[in-house]
Parts: sequence; structure tokens; C-alpha cells
Amino acid sequence: MNLTLALLLHQTACGAIAAAGFGVLFNIGFRSLPWCAVSGALALAVRTCCLDGLGWNLEAASFAAALTVGAAVQALRARADISQNALDVVGCIPMVPGSFAAKAILAMFALTSTTTADAAETLIPAVQFALRVTFTIGAIGTGLAIPTLLLRVRVSR
Amino acid sequence: MDMIDSLSPDDSGSAPALEPMAMVALDAGRMLMEAGASANSIDGIVAKFARGLGADRVDLRIGYASMAITIGIGANGITRMREVGHLGVNQRLDQELWHLAARVSRGELTTEQTRAELTRLATKTPRHSAWVMAVAVGLACAAFGRLLKVDWLGTGPVFIAACLGQLLRRELLTRHVNVFICAAVVSFLSSLLGSGKIDMAMIAAILLLVPGVPSVNALNDILEGHPTLGSARAVTVAVILIFAAAGLWFGKVLLSHWGIET
Repeated sequence: MNLTLALLLHQTACGAIAAAGFGVLFNIGFRSLPWCAVSGALALAVRTCCLDGLGWNLEAASFAAALTVGAAVQALRARADISQNALDVVGCIPMVPGSFAAKAILAMFALTSTTTADAAETLIPAVQFALRVTFTIGAIGTGLAIPTLLLRVRVSR
Repeated sequence: MDMIDSLSPDDSGSAPALEPMAMVALDAGRMLMEAGASANSIDGIVAKFARGLGADRVDLRIGYASMAITIGIGANGITRMREVGHLGVNQRLDQELWHLAARVSRGELTTEQTRAELTRLATKTPRHSAWVMAVAVGLACAAFGRLLKVDWLGTGPVFIAACLGQLLRRELLTRHVNVFICAAVVSFLSSLLGSGKIDMAMIAAILLLVPGVPSVNALNDILEGHPTLGSARAVTVAVILIFAAAGLWFGKVLLSHWGIET
């Protein structure tokens, strides 16, 4: 277990800043930005606990974090006066694995210029990064969708 | 009567309000889609507008570049289609549209008043200034950098590169430059400015450009029964990432040419 309070606070603060920053980019009003920061902080706190405290992999930790954010947003959206779509997606933006996506595509570019001998060394990381991006985005999207889908079933009954 | 008129349904008699009603509901859906909403939200808001204005039946088809609606009152019905523009993210407009939908569904507004309100929202909804956005994106990317274990000194170049990248992106989009070309150009600039180390350059360039909302919307749409739209969004996300990575790759090649090890 590598989880320390300092690491948890650091990751939570960075998640809050990243979510609030992207909240501005998405034209969320200044009054609602603290809710975006809370959403991002919650996502990163849960993901860090799962990654470094419980030893889960990135995909599972991202799923748990997105599920938590989705459920919390369902509970709090009336108070925040902001669309649910904005709040939960902005909170999960810091977990979107952009650097993995870039590494995967760059590794695929590199494949075109490698010799037969080192092609396997380039291909394996490219495929691994691409799969991690796919599974992590899938985990985030599914985690966010589940609370909404469950609530809709309950309401429709 | 020309050919088009002869093909139009006879909706000018008992239900003269169908045409403006359909176009107002369709425009509300289009605006919401261009503001970054998922298919289910668009479905919901169009139904609220159309039923609030008096329609009995509402059917909506949502495509990536166009939307079509069929509305009916009694025995009368019409189908209309509308082109959808560039898909961005504008949550204040999204929120205002939902507030307006609530008023329309309570029967507080006529079709003409709703049209006027939509026009007002399209032109008057405030946006953050370019500089505020640039600083916010810079801070966000610097925080991303820390999450990816960039050292504290490395966050400075990431912040500056992301700020300038955001300013350039806004300028290019204002000039209607293709979004994919825009991603490659911004990525190239940010990778040059971000840092001599490729990992840091990646953070500066790519995390600014990663289409997070469309990628989450893509999966949501597929999960919620709109696989065609979801797939179109996913393909767009993939192509944006490829162009962004191409820009980064050009930056890397140029830095290597100048003898800077990446």
C-alpha cells in the first residue's frame, strides 16, 4: 500500500484544479465552478484510494471513481443548479487518459519506421496503451451512466 | 405550385402552428447538441419544447450532422430536418435551454415568444473571455502534469504552452479552420513550447486537446440506445487524437532536427 495523506491531498487538489479549469473551458459560470472542483476532487480522491490504497488497476479505479461521482451528482444536482451532464463529466475529465492515447498513436507512427527485429518491441506497448485508453474511457463512461440509468428505471416505475 | 410545395403535407388548414412549432423544437435540440449534450438530453428537451407548444406526438432522429423531427396534432403531422453545426461544449447555454424548456412545458410561452427567447440565448449567453479561458486551461494542464508526475519546475512550461495553445485554438476556430487541422497545429505549437522532454510536451499538447466530453458522450449514447450517433462521435474523437498526435510528432521531429533530445 503506497497511499499517504500527502499523496491523497496532492491528487485531490490537482483533480479539483483540473476540473475547475476545464469547467471554465466548457463555459460553466463562476458561481458553479466550486461544484466542478468538488466533483474533480472526489473523482481523484476515490481513484487514488483504489489505485494506491487497494492496489486496483487504473481501469477498475477509474470505474469506481466515475460511479461515485455519478451517484454523488445525482444526489446533489438540485442544489448545484447546474446540468448533471456538466458536473459529472467535468469531474471525470482529469481521469481521461490523454497521455496514454498520445503514446499509443506515437508508437503506431513509430511502427512504420521500425525494422522487423524491433517491431514487436514497438507494437506491444502501442497495443497496450491503446487498450488501456479504450478500457479506461469505457470504465469512466459506464461508471457515469449507471447511476443515471438506475434512477431512470426507478422513476419510470 | 412548384414541385416542393406539391410534396408538402397539407398542414395549413386545421393545424397552422405545426411548422413553426417543429422548427422551434428542432432549433432547441440543435442548440443543445452544439452545446455538448448527449442524445438522451436532446431527446428530452425537444419533447419538452414540442409538447409544451401543443404537439401530441413527437418523434426525433438525431444524427451527427443533422436532426429530423416529426410532430403531430390530431390527424395532422409534419416532418422537418435541420443541419447541426460544429459540436462544442457550452454548459451555460445548456443550462439556459433547460430553464427555458421548463417554462415552455408549463405553457408560459407561445411559439413566437419561444423563438425570440432562443434567438436571445444564441446571441446573448455570456462566454468567458479568451484570456480567462487560456489561464484556466493552463492551470488545468499544469495540474494534469502533476497528476502525471511532472516535477514542479516542469509545470511552468506546461502552463505557458497550454495557455498559448488555447489562445491559438480559439483564434483558429474563430476563423473556421477545420477542427482536425486545428488540433494538429495547436499540438505542434504546444509540443515545441512545452518542454524539451517528450513526456512533458505530450502533457502540454495532448491534454489540452483531448475531447473528454465527446468521448464520454459517445459511450453514453451507445449505452442509451443511440449507437449510430455514439459511433460517429467515437470516430471523431479518434481522428482528433490522431491529428493531435501527428502535430506532436512533427514537433518531436523538429526538436530532434535542432539537436534537442526528446
